[in-house]
Amino acid sequence: MNDTTPPLVQIRDLSVTYKTRLGDTSAVDKVSFDIRRGEILGLVGESGCGKSTLGKALLRMIMPPGRISAGQILFNGEDILTFDDKRLRDYRGRQASMIFQDPMTSLNPVQTVEQHLTEAIQVHDAGAESQSMARRIQALIERLGIMQSRLASYPHQLSGGMRQRVMIGLGLVLNAGLIIADEATTSLDVIVEAKLVDQLREIRDEYGVTILAITHNIALVAEMADRVAVMYAGNLVELGEVNRIFDRPLHPYTQGLLASVPTTEINERKELYKMPGEPPNLARPPSGCRFHPRCPVAMPICSRYRPGLNEAAPGHWVHCWLYQDHPEKEEKTLKVAA
Amino acid sequence: MEEKQTTPEAVPQWQLDLDKVGFVRRLFLARKWYGGDWWFVAVSAVLLLFIILLGVAPQWFAPYDPREEVGPALLAPGEVPLGYVLVVPAGSSVTSIKEIGTNQNNIGFVVGSPASQALRKTTDELNAAEKEAGSGITYQPRPRRYETNELGLTDLTEGKIDGFVASMEELEPLLPNFPGVKVVGDLSGNTRTFALGTNQIGQDVLSRVIWGTRIALIVGLSSAIAAFLLGVPLGLISGFVGGPFDRILTMLMDSLYSFPGLILAIAIAAVLGAGIGNVIVAIAVLYIPTYFRIVRGQTLSVKNDLYVEAARSLGTPPWQILTKYILPNVIPSVVIIFSVNVADAILTEAGLSFLGLGLPPDTPDWGIDLARGQDYIRRAWWLITYPGLMVSLVTLSFSMLGESLAEILNPRLAEL
Amino acid sequence: MNAQLSPQLQDNLVEIQDLKKWFPVQKSFLDQLLAGRKDFVRAVDGVSFNIRRGEAFGLAGESGSGKTTIGRLAIGLETPTEGKVLFDGIDLGRQNERELRHLRRRMQVIFQDPMASLNPRMTLGDSVVQGLKIHYPEAAEKHRDTLLDIFERVGLSPARYFINKYPHQISGGQRQRVVIARALITRPDLVLADEPIAMADVSVRALLLELMVQLKQEFNLTYLFITHDLATAKYICDRIGILYLGRMAEIGDLKEVYSHPLHPYTQALMAAVPVPDPHKRRTQTMPAGEIPNPINPPSGCRFHPRCPIAQEICSQVEPELRELRPGHQAACHFAEQFL
Repeated sequence: MNDTTPPLVQIRDLSVTYKTRLGDTSAVDKVSFDIRRGEILGLVGESGCGKSTLGKALLRMIMPPGRISAGQILFNGEDILTFDDKRLRDYRGRQASMIFQDPMTSLNPVQTVEQHLTEAIQVHDAGAESQSMARRIQALIERLGIMQSRLASYPHQLSGGMRQRVMIGLGLVLNAGLIIADEATTSLDVIVEAKLVDQLREIRDEYGVTILAITHNIALVAEMADRVAVMYAGNLVELGEVNRIFDRPLHPYTQGLLASVPTTEINERKELYKMPGEPPNLARPPSGCRFHPRCPVAMPICSRYRPGLNEAAPGHWVHCWLYQDHPEKEEKTLKVAA
Repeated sequence: MEEKQTTPEAVPQWQLDLDKVGFVRRLFLARKWYGGDWWFVAVSAVLLLFIILLGVAPQWFAPYDPREEVGPALLAPGEVPLGYVLVVPAGSSVTSIKEIGTNQNNIGFVVGSPASQALRKTTDELNAAEKEAGSGITYQPRPRRYETNELGLTDLTEGKIDGFVASMEELEPLLPNFPGVKVVGDLSGNTRTFALGTNQIGQDVLSRVIWGTRIALIVGLSSAIAAFLLGVPLGLISGFVGGPFDRILTMLMDSLYSFPGLILAIAIAAVLGAGIGNVIVAIAVLYIPTYFRIVRGQTLSVKNDLYVEAARSLGTPPWQILTKYILPNVIPSVVIIFSVNVADAILTEAGLSFLGLGLPPDTPDWGIDLARGQDYIRRAWWLITYPGLMVSLVTLSFSMLGESLAEILNPRLAEL
Repeated sequence: MNAQLSPQLQDNLVEIQDLKKWFPVQKSFLDQLLAGRKDFVRAVDGVSFNIRRGEAFGLAGESGSGKTTIGRLAIGLETPTEGKVLFDGIDLGRQNERELRHLRRRMQVIFQDPMASLNPRMTLGDSVVQGLKIHYPEAAEKHRDTLLDIFERVGLSPARYFINKYPHQISGGQRQRVVIARALITRPDLVLADEPIAMADVSVRALLLELMVQLKQEFNLTYLFITHDLATAKYICDRIGILYLGRMAEIGDLKEVYSHPLHPYTQALMAAVPVPDPHKRRTQTMPAGEIPNPINPPSGCRFHPRCPIAQEICSQVEPELRELRPGHQAACHFAEQFL
């Protein structure tokens, strides 16, 4: 991953709101970050934090009553929010594709694997001739470890792991630049999950695909990501290299999250951290910093103003008053070593 | 309720707010939540209340007895009955013959026309009534004879006579030329018109339509309730118990269900014979399979839900599982079916009586009226229009209620 | 941790003996005619273990391992095709419906999905108090106090507020506490916990785990804890059994098994669990292939098609559980090499 080449995706002040009976819910609230070319970015957070919504927004798949209410999403410099239908169809699938949580429902039950892949090509490249298509598909399934005999199978005849691989295949067959994996391994057994993680890393190494891995499992992110973005209640609260985030998490939420993850390591003596409270209702979010009701180190300013995302150390961004100055803030601002 | 939160997980503020309000306020808050649906419920509720009121106390609303022949046959809505009428000067405050039937008044008519007989007949009737009442009043207007209606009307306009009698038929073409006079009603002082007209035998349509509500509601509700009371328990038990019992019952219900509704009702009504009770039975039998199927289907699905299994693992005896766990979760969908069912039952009842099955012929019933009026579509459109409209309106109200109940009865109503 | 129990109490609360549960496969009529014999899903295919009074026993495995089915068999929600389930010495298979219902007071369940396991039309108080109403109907005046007490104990305070709520009015974490309360109100001996925290939010799980551990001490419970997540099992279980395709692959003291996994499948499972430390990324390769169809399990050792150390005997002879370290058994012909 180069730091000098322009990022593949630039998200600027993105906000997504849902109209509900009890008012407007801001599912994603002024989120900004980049996705660098060829990296695996892990987007992690609990249910309701907005990570899945963000993923859908990247493909402009937000359905009413939700809508993208503000911000920009630049893909290769172009703002996808301005795309017309035709351009959007080209973008989806060919440039960016998605792998969903439940592969059973996201594959067409009346199409075989081969038909899925062929259709994907044809939608984007109507004139593709069958021979070259067959060759492409052949190479792809070999790479993904799908057996030849499986090409004629229907989704219900495949196992969960196999279906996910077909989904990855659908993303790759068109040489998409960005693959968004939305809880792609959540419904899988742990060994299958591990294999899929290996697979994703391999295809990134070989094809240079950029991967946005959306998950609630922070351990998974440690296994596969280069950088980590942590979301809470619609805000991006921390972003940085995976080693930094795990060695020295800055945001109290990240710290709490990491301390509450169980492991199989039996030599660990420390107890799990029990985070008080629950994720907030996004129709009536807390004032100021949305995490302040549950934060062990909350200051008076935290309930009054919302901190912005601030680069506390090179490449390490935090959304927290601990690391920023404000005229009304009385406490000392923490300095972070590079 | 700012009680200290001792729970590790705080209860969200909006949930606390929800409980602070009383039931009435919640009804109003519901308006904001449901938007259009709320109005739907409100309108259908109001409509239904009105309809029920009509059915419960038709005598408060109906101007006449529905079986009484109160007017001339086939009178259009609002039409003044054709016949012999009293005409007075435009500015006069007289409204009936009684006021100008005494010795002092001059009443004109065309010589030799039936108008004079009509006048005499009327005054005779009035005198007979007064003699019986012992009031001592006599009516004896002074007759004035004219050659033509126009002459009489001219004198009337000039005030030379107090009143003029003629038939509406003759007067109609002339009235535009005599702006100084007005028709005040027929000779017996009755200015009645019939808001919705009269039918072939002179019964007031409005009264019949209002009284018809009672029959419709009685038959519709009774048959729906009977079907409910039989179909729901059968469906519950059948779905819960399963096995051969279930299979036999299902086959039975399916065969009943596959009959076209009206035909089955006709068959049953024909077998049972006439009478309102038999009509109710016939329609009830028709709808039992509907409840059975819905309830059985729901029971089958709820039976496998996790909370039922949880109840079983608690050691709950089967009877309690059925009544406490399955029934309450099955009932909401049935209530919705019920309201739509009442609507349908009313239609079926109208259909049955339309065909002459079941109700005694003189009952004020929409179906009967529709049957009788179908030959008069062109001549007297009001005979079928108003009963038809009522059937539609009641059907609509019940259906609307049913649909809007679907929203209300959903236990997630308080959730975001 | 087990307290020092006196000898006569230190026995097995639950004994599973050679348990098998086969489910017939639904086939179309024509298929049945043509195929001849019936096919069965061999969900549980010969499993034996004991649960000691007062311990927390974990049953871990992936999909198709049979762990959920064993749980249901252990508390009599299913009847075995073969084998016995003994609860406190009582053979569950020989009890009639009424006797079984009576026994239920002593074995309760915490289900995975709290929303689905609560009757949406009953208040939380009602749902929880049912156990008392069924098993202690004569003590009706004490029910309310017991109810309020248990709500407080699981952390749903103020109890008076919560007993009148409906399931959809509270959060997921709170719902799971209600389910826990419901399971414990009759003071059972055995609690079957079927993936109890899998559906809770990540930041809430630690709280729920701690609650379960605390209550185990307070109420003197025995847990049968079913999970696919080896990491959570560590925080609550004393002993653990690893299942693969309806058979027990490894069983023993949890710390033992986790620090010295002897069965290749256990080793793969432990390696597969993601570690929240980027410096310790997994380097081992995962076994090839996928979990086979339980209708037709592989011959001999079920894991042999995927096993990195499989030899010829593994496809012919199914290994039995044998004790390789004190209190630690594994069903593998070649487990010695890992000692």
